[in-house]
Amino acid sequence: MKICLLTYRGNPYCGGQGIYTMYIARELAKLGHEVHVIQGPPYFPPMEGIHIHYVSNHNYFNIKQNYIKPHKPFATFSPLNFYEFIASKFGIFPEIETFSFRAYLKLKELLKIHKFDIIHDNQSLGYGFLLIKQFGIPFISTIHHPLSIDRSTWFEYPSDFRLKIKRVLYYPLIMQGFVARRMDHIITVSHDAANEINRAFGVKHEKMSVVYNGLDTDFFKPLPHIKKKPNSVIFVGNVEDRKKGVVYLLKAMTLTKTKFHLTVVDGGAPNRMYVTKWIDKFGLNDRIHFTGKIPGEKLIELYASHELAVSPSLYEGFGFPAAEAMACELPLIASDGGALPEVVGNHMETGYVVKSRDPYSLAEAIDYLLLNPEERKKMGKAARKRITEVFTWENAAREMEKVYREVIDAYSGF
Amino acid sequence: MPRAKIWGIIAVLVSAFLFALSIFSFFILPEGNFGFFSDVNLMNLHPLTYYSAAVPLGLISLWVLATGFWIGWVILSIKVVPPMPEIVEKKDNSKIKAFFLCLITAGLAVLLVYGIYLRNFWALAIPALVISAVILGAVFWVGMAIITTRATLPVNKN
Repeated sequence: MKICLLTYRGNPYCGGQGIYTMYIARELAKLGHEVHVIQGPPYFPPMEGIHIHYVSNHNYFNIKQNYIKPHKPFATFSPLNFYEFIASKFGIFPEIETFSFRAYLKLKELLKIHKFDIIHDNQSLGYGFLLIKQFGIPFISTIHHPLSIDRSTWFEYPSDFRLKIKRVLYYPLIMQGFVARRMDHIITVSHDAANEINRAFGVKHEKMSVVYNGLDTDFFKPLPHIKKKPNSVIFVGNVEDRKKGVVYLLKAMTLTKTKFHLTVVDGGAPNRMYVTKWIDKFGLNDRIHFTGKIPGEKLIELYASHELAVSPSLYEGFGFPAAEAMACELPLIASDGGALPEVVGNHMETGYVVKSRDPYSLAEAIDYLLLNPEERKKMGKAARKRITEVFTWENAAREMEKVYREVIDAYSGF
Repeated sequence: MPRAKIWGIIAVLVSAFLFALSIFSFFILPEGNFGFFSDVNLMNLHPLTYYSAAVPLGLISLWVLATGFWIGWVILSIKVVPPMPEIVEKKDNSKIKAFFLCLITAGLAVLLVYGIYLRNFWALAIPALVISAVILGAVFWVGMAIITTRATLPVNKN
């Protein structure tokens, strides 16, 4: 098959979209398909066997100053850039929408040379996709979870009116819902996410397929030569992302009998605004260490040197950090937010599942596992076994291939 | 002076001039002919001429007002778990503000539609001025950014 993947941000080191596209592209290419990727910046590096096509973006939403490139001073006045510039000044996040139009223009150019069997977007769902549909090629999208979840979990935390307005404007829910209902098929990464997409966007269940994400288990693996630090717990995730539920973990730290040390790997949150305030409030300054952005190799060493991983999220469409910790044979305590129970598997066997938003249960679980080394060891081994059996990118690509064939058959029949 | 900077200055001057011109045309020029609250007679215009301007302007304005109403409505109606008491610093009165936002935007929308129906000058003039201000303001802003950006090329572009 000739497959065209679309991702508005390609870099696999700054978010889930890039990781997903990179691995899916690689595995589909391994299965013998011709894979093209149309990606927006930051780009992922060239990969063997993958045809990469670039679309530009000036990132006006995040870059507030020095957005004029000396070698392209008038780029801001081009129609899409100018729209993006004005929209971002009003707090709208226009990158997804403008990517969809840029992808349309790029596809129009590519279709003169290539004939794609299927186009597969990765959660952009911009209005430009309605134009792409006019090409008459089966067009599907992966939705990891509807952004309405991000919005509502954000509203769970105290904030003022101005910030709430900004949040409402930020998430392009109306556009994504409108476009999602018009896609030929939707792939999602867990059964819980499928239910949420149905609820938020009104996409029918029969139009959705669940294909679990994978994990590179050759990369995420236990390192037995690294000694574990006693009473050490690790949390991986953006602490400023309010759906990660870090505040409940901080509260739990004040409730545990074991005075453990927490390592926070928060590569995605260079500016900590809220969490430092909460740490002060709970008096935990001497028990928490932030690593900032670290390379993957260092992350695996950290997993290996800690006794326990915690994922207290209020919601996860899949939960990469939870799966990574499990793949590294680390016993995991995860909340029941979103798809985490699907990833973790059997409670008390492959992981410890607690109720989300419940710091008391979380504290109890941390105490239990920190005080039971045998249980930790058993749980860690079972966790890795589950990940290597169920969540591999190879499985994901094979499932994806099956969905592609079904969609193409249905499309040609139509 | 680099050519980009010259164009930057032109963008700033043209946008500032056009904005000043629109202010002059809307508020100062008609002063001798009508007062702020009195109507300019748009009745003489052919309905097609009038509505060809009024409908697009009205739709854009209604879209902006509807967005405002929608924001207020989302804040007002969203149902979430209350925050942990330990992290609440001050009382959240955003629902009251959201209620007023809905009220004001709905009121303005009604006024706008009624104004267009009555062929009131200001029902067209105010939206036109706001739209011009946004577009010209953005041109001015980018022009200023071009003027103040260092014209040094990155190493690989040299």
